[in-house]
Amino acid sequence: MTSKVLTVALRRIILKPSHLRRFSTAAAVAVEPYQEDASGITMKGVKISGRPLYLDMQATSPVDPRVLDAMLPYYLSRYGNPHSRTHLYGWESDKAVESARAQVAALIKTSPKEIIFTSGATESNNISVKGVMHFYRDKKKHVITTQTEHKCVLDSCRHLQQEGFEITYLPVESDGLIDLNKLQDAIRPNTGLVSVMMVNNEIGVIQPVEEIGKICKEFNVPFHTDAAQALGKIPIDVDKMNISLMSLSGHKIYGPKGIGALYMRRRPRIRVEPQMNGGGQERGIRSGTVPTPLVVGFGAACELAMKEMAYDDVRIKALQERLLNGIRQKLDGVVVNGSVKRRYAGNLNLSFAYVEGESLLMGLKEVAVSSGSACTSASLEPSYVLRALGVDEDMAHTSIRYGIGRFTTEEEIDRSVELTVKQVEKLREMSPLYEMVKEGIDIKSIQWAQH
Amino acid sequence: MAASPSRGEVLSLFRSFLRTARGFSDYNVREYTKRRAIDAFRHNKDLSEPSQVSAAFADGKSQLEIAKRQAIVYSLYAPEIKSVMELKH
Repeated sequence: MTSKVLTVALRRIILKPSHLRRFSTAAAVAVEPYQEDASGITMKGVKISGRPLYLDMQATSPVDPRVLDAMLPYYLSRYGNPHSRTHLYGWESDKAVESARAQVAALIKTSPKEIIFTSGATESNNISVKGVMHFYRDKKKHVITTQTEHKCVLDSCRHLQQEGFEITYLPVESDGLIDLNKLQDAIRPNTGLVSVMMVNNEIGVIQPVEEIGKICKEFNVPFHTDAAQALGKIPIDVDKMNISLMSLSGHKIYGPKGIGALYMRRRPRIRVEPQMNGGGQERGIRSGTVPTPLVVGFGAACELAMKEMAYDDVRIKALQERLLNGIRQKLDGVVVNGSVKRRYAGNLNLSFAYVEGESLLMGLKEVAVSSGSACTSASLEPSYVLRALGVDEDMAHTSIRYGIGRFTTEEEIDRSVELTVKQVEKLREMSPLYEMVKEGIDIKSIQWAQH
Repeated sequence: MAASPSRGEVLSLFRSFLRTARGFSDYNVREYTKRRAIDAFRHNKDLSEPSQVSAAFADGKSQLEIAKRQAIVYSLYAPEIKSVMELKH
């Protein structure tokens, strides 16, 4: 009897989602209806027969099998805490962590002593922006960054602003690059940090980091750069670029998620206030047990990246050309967002005129692409990065970021060209705007009735 | 350092790579392993310095071991549904 009452009560709770919400916040998050069975995957009412081909390498990359191979021993028998000083388990883990540190350091041409392991680039960015400013808060009150930075840098800056710091958000040109003169003019005597990302996550443009470093050196301002999207893809030399702090991430270079690093210059020394307090690991900058398997994976990924950079680069460039030419051959009104010359080839951000972006993404269910950064892909707002470039509202709404990586094949590129062209043509056929353009009407001159 | 491998040994290593690559359940990794092996052997085909040849051969052998182990790991956790690239178009 009691059990029956209980079942009824339970059922009531399960049937009423409003009840659930009180107990678990996870249940309150809208989950996309998604079903997977042997015959295929059903998602948003669309049925696809296979796993989509993956072209979203800026969001994350698959773990390289060679990386996983290096990690697995540390998930099995070698599970020691690298900070244990009293037994073999600790020693072998510590040795693995230090050799990984050397692998990361080698990729950016520095010494292992300047590498701090963190949970990822977001944490490294937070330590860099907030940590530096908090440490030097008595003398330095001003930060310079750009409008196209990653959300975590911008949000850290917003946080500093609330504490009374002043922030200059440098505008970018229409190609996504900053104007060095504007940077120079923005530097004040109390500027404590310049933070400019190396490769943009949404549009893939490569900022003139070396020149920025030169300016920072001249004015004696610490220079922080977010290199999450640059590591292992373009050559990085922290001394040549005069970088004081640099954020790195593991899962963008075929390594595991949840691991990253912060490069911190020792000469001249840059100091930060830790965001995480505790056992004093990582020289007190980032307390918390260092996750050996992840660190080993990150190190292996860095070593691989160093070996494979030239090979991958040639291939990815060829694939990008194949993709762009393929689409351009069959479609007009395709615009590359961001500088064409100074960009990382693995990121191709395109806007398709007279097409609604969300419909295009929905139609491309067999291609895993995104409209911009994964962090904002849930919102229908056009990307703030594209708006900072001065891209028109309608074009910013139709952007698609194609991310090409180490494991992308020619066949995948051909298939995504074919699917994109088909979908864009289908949407344009339905679009009255496109019809008007074909008839020679300039849409921009139309006075739309107010409503 | 071991003596230079014979032509037969190199060819046998190459064939083992292709065979192991075919064993990967994942479309992208399978294609990559095949492509990377072919390109690496092609890249090294003109090596004549015995020490370089042996080094490349030893490296290839250790890479093959990794590929063999990982092909097993991948097969253990292969998703039920294949990539769209493997289905008839």
